[in-house]
Amino acid sequence: MNPNILVLGAGVSGIEASLLLAGAGRTVHLVEKDMLIGGQTIKFEEVYPNLECSTCMVAPKQQAVLQSANIKVYLQSELEKLEGALGAFTARITKKARYVSLANCIGCGACYEPCPVSLNNPFEEGLSTRKAVAVPCAGALPNVPAIDPEQCLHLNGKDRNCQACKEACMFDAILFDDKDETFDLEVGAVVVATGFELQEATKFPQYAYGGGKNVYSALEFERLFASNGPTEGKLILRDGRTPQSVGIIHCVGRKEQGYCSGVCCMYAAKFSRFIKHKIPEAKVCEFHTDLCIPGKTYQKFHDQTRSLGVEFVRAESVGVAAKNGGLEVAYQNVDRGPGTFKADMVILAPAMVPRRDTPELSERLGLKQDSRGFLASRRGGLSPIETDIEGVFVVGCAQGPKDIPESVAQAEAAVGKILSLIPEETG
Amino acid sequence: MSVRIGVYVCECGPNIPDKIDIDKVLEDIAPLNNVAAAKRFRLLCSNDGKKYLADEIRKEKLTHLVVAACSPREHEKTFMQVCVEAGLNPYLFQMVNIREQCAWMIPDKAEATRMAAKHIRAGISRVALHGPLSKKELTVNPDVLIIGGGISGIEAALSLASKTRKVAIIERSDSLGGRTGKLSRLLLHQGTDVSVLREKIEKIEKDENISVLTGCEVTDIRGFLGNFEVRIESSGEEAVSRSIVVGAVVVATGCELWDGYDPAVYGAGNIDDVVTAAEFEDMIAAGKILLKNGKPPRSVALIHCVGRKEKGYCSKVCCLYALKFAHHLRDSRAPAEVYEFYSDLCLPEKTDQEYFDGAVKKGVHFLRTENVRVEKRNGHIVVEHGDGAGKKKTLEVDMAVLAPALVPPPGSEKLARMLNIPLDETGFFKEAHAMLDPVAAPIEGVYIAGCASGPKNINESVVQAQAASGKILSTLVPGKTLEPEVKISVINEDLCTGCQTCLSVCFYGAISFQAHKGVSAVNEAICRGCGSCVGSCPSGAISSRHFTYRQLYEEIFEALR
Repeated sequence: MNPNILVLGAGVSGIEASLLLAGAGRTVHLVEKDMLIGGQTIKFEEVYPNLECSTCMVAPKQQAVLQSANIKVYLQSELEKLEGALGAFTARITKKARYVSLANCIGCGACYEPCPVSLNNPFEEGLSTRKAVAVPCAGALPNVPAIDPEQCLHLNGKDRNCQACKEACMFDAILFDDKDETFDLEVGAVVVATGFELQEATKFPQYAYGGGKNVYSALEFERLFASNGPTEGKLILRDGRTPQSVGIIHCVGRKEQGYCSGVCCMYAAKFSRFIKHKIPEAKVCEFHTDLCIPGKTYQKFHDQTRSLGVEFVRAESVGVAAKNGGLEVAYQNVDRGPGTFKADMVILAPAMVPRRDTPELSERLGLKQDSRGFLASRRGGLSPIETDIEGVFVVGCAQGPKDIPESVAQAEAAVGKILSLIPEETG
Repeated sequence: MSVRIGVYVCECGPNIPDKIDIDKVLEDIAPLNNVAAAKRFRLLCSNDGKKYLADEIRKEKLTHLVVAACSPREHEKTFMQVCVEAGLNPYLFQMVNIREQCAWMIPDKAEATRMAAKHIRAGISRVALHGPLSKKELTVNPDVLIIGGGISGIEAALSLASKTRKVAIIERSDSLGGRTGKLSRLLLHQGTDVSVLREKIEKIEKDENISVLTGCEVTDIRGFLGNFEVRIESSGEEAVSRSIVVGAVVVATGCELWDGYDPAVYGAGNIDDVVTAAEFEDMIAAGKILLKNGKPPRSVALIHCVGRKEKGYCSKVCCLYALKFAHHLRDSRAPAEVYEFYSDLCLPEKTDQEYFDGAVKKGVHFLRTENVRVEKRNGHIVVEHGDGAGKKKTLEVDMAVLAPALVPPPGSEKLARMLNIPLDETGFFKEAHAMLDPVAAPIEGVYIAGCASGPKNINESVVQAQAASGKILSTLVPGKTLEPEVKISVINEDLCTGCQTCLSVCFYGAISFQAHKGVSAVNEAICRGCGSCVGSCPSGAISSRHFTYRQLYEEIFEALR
């Protein structure tokens, strides 16, 4: 049986699985769709309940992955097809051209400034732009840019003479003739750790999201208060003012999706604390249904948030409207009837949903999707990480909404199963 | 032997020469005592650069190396490896950060140059005092002791046991299964039946690599990852005692239902037909749910959150098992009216909401309430509850079932002390890192799975048991050796007065008191080099191998000159 492993997705789960497998002496092929590793966790400034710096927490693990001799990282890469069985899978991988040499580039950043093209930065949730040759954020790992071939004037043919980045580079790291690649990896087992998305707030017209208004989806707000984000952590509205009144709306999409996403009550409380810390005089009100704060530490975090003067309203039929230059939250307090709340800023906590490419991914893997669209676990077992294919495991939020500790535990569990299914002796 | 220090300044592309006058720096440091070579190079971390450094070490017969470049976090390991390959002990090396700490933050070139030279001079003073540290290799025992024979312990045992790794499960009751073993049905909406547990127990009984010690408890544990000596005693009348040696320990001691709630408020124990969830599970297992008078109840109140306020946390599993009870009651041929009294509905998994909706469809009543009292009035059970607006209401029922908080089992404190691992303020075992290391204890070689670290459901417990196995399978490989930390503490026995202050500050249990000598000693296999003992010692008897007072003093003195 082939002792090597394919890990799809380099977020916190994929990173943990890779490091643990590499520590056991296995070769790990870590395939990541994006140009950097770290997943969603590195977008957060702080994580609950201890409010430690998220990037500081993950960075040593990212470094360890990139410096490990046993972990081969393929960025801007995706699985095309998985075939075979436990001990003998063949994974066809397509790797997009980066147009920048990972070996030569030292991350000096000299190529960014001269580039004439700016485009929307998806890492910043659209809140800021970056150049066609750029890293997504300060502290990105690997600290090597990629060129967007559709926007780059040289690569899309609009101006073949433009070589501003190449001219600024002292290390011959710009490779205009880089090509997409397709190759096969032979592995014994697969860990699927492709993560989640948040449901698009545009699907909910009742919350007045969009059109330049100060209604933010959770990940946008995370970037707003990140110190390496578009405002360097300053809490300012789109027009530069400081918000004095913030409403946070839980359960956006809960009814429609038919499940509770488990993490929002906690991160909403995190947001409230952050706002009160940065703007002590601000009024903060959270509109929620049931509070989902299980476990030995989460209730205390929540109680402490209340004691900071954050208001909690148990509400139904919550809606947001633009009014008199600001926003108004209208709601039905379940005990006290209708009410309104004037806000400068509204933050939405949308449902955690499967990534939009899950139907394709499930087909490529040969897995089913469950009734909610997540990759399906094997029925009848006690461990949700096992699928119908022996040797293929689904971990983290690709399996269903969950917090970081559960994602990490699931990644470690997949490693446990793999190391006992494919012991080194038979490798 | 003469000291020959080689100092190499990396240009790091444009990063450094743009902001620092490297030639001036080299002029400043070349004449210093013991500096055999002071040179610059374009990019030391490149393959060319690494080859250049290795050649220089040999050519210049260097006894120590200083590289002035980027952050040690980036390339300290890289250059230490270069030293090893060139035959130089990697700890006779010091990396000086003149990129992030000078070039990238000092706008004035003259000032940046001055600071860079200072940093490098300080590094040179320090490295001259470095000692050649060498790695140790420890052979390990790959076997595992699992404390607790519930679902987590069972799963861990099945995941770990093999021909080359023996597993011992120690269980203080007289059978395996724990709390899960007392359930008659698991969460059926997940398609899981309790026969799954019985199959696992059968597998364990057949597995010759797993030994099960029921009716036993751990009474002493000493050692470290790869080498724990464990004393086990049977808790029966014949106190039989034995010792085993294992490489890792999994704490899977589970939890129990809190029974410290006020009976005046909840009525259990002194009112007939007010039962706890465990008693109700027993009724389901026995196949009949009956009142004390032998009749089936026509109405049942399920009281959630018993102890949530008092304990200060939500026990996560109660809403789901209360729904299980509700479904069961409504599915029977003569369904009782079911009333669930809750404060928040905790339905965090993707199928939980659906299970709840199903209960609603079956006519289960859900009443949100802040304050619940269960009392006997005029021979009937009455649930008094406050609605959201604060108005008090009452409901008469035939039976009430309490869902109490999940709490640590007795003996947790004793076990924590024995293993030298902490409990947190809720009394559950504390994880090494709440986010990124949820199944490890802060002591290497000790792992925690299941409810031992906090309330969680069966699926999560099983995952944690598999995760602990993953960590053990990865770290403790039969036949492989472990390399403990090199930069550890050393106790000078001549200066040690035996006050044992160091023992009290050592978080890892790496220091022991040698009574026959009257001094303390560091266990080199456990010490992680945190330095707490160094700072605590009133006699200055403890030093850190790579952070001696002299090394630090010389570095700081030079930097401030």
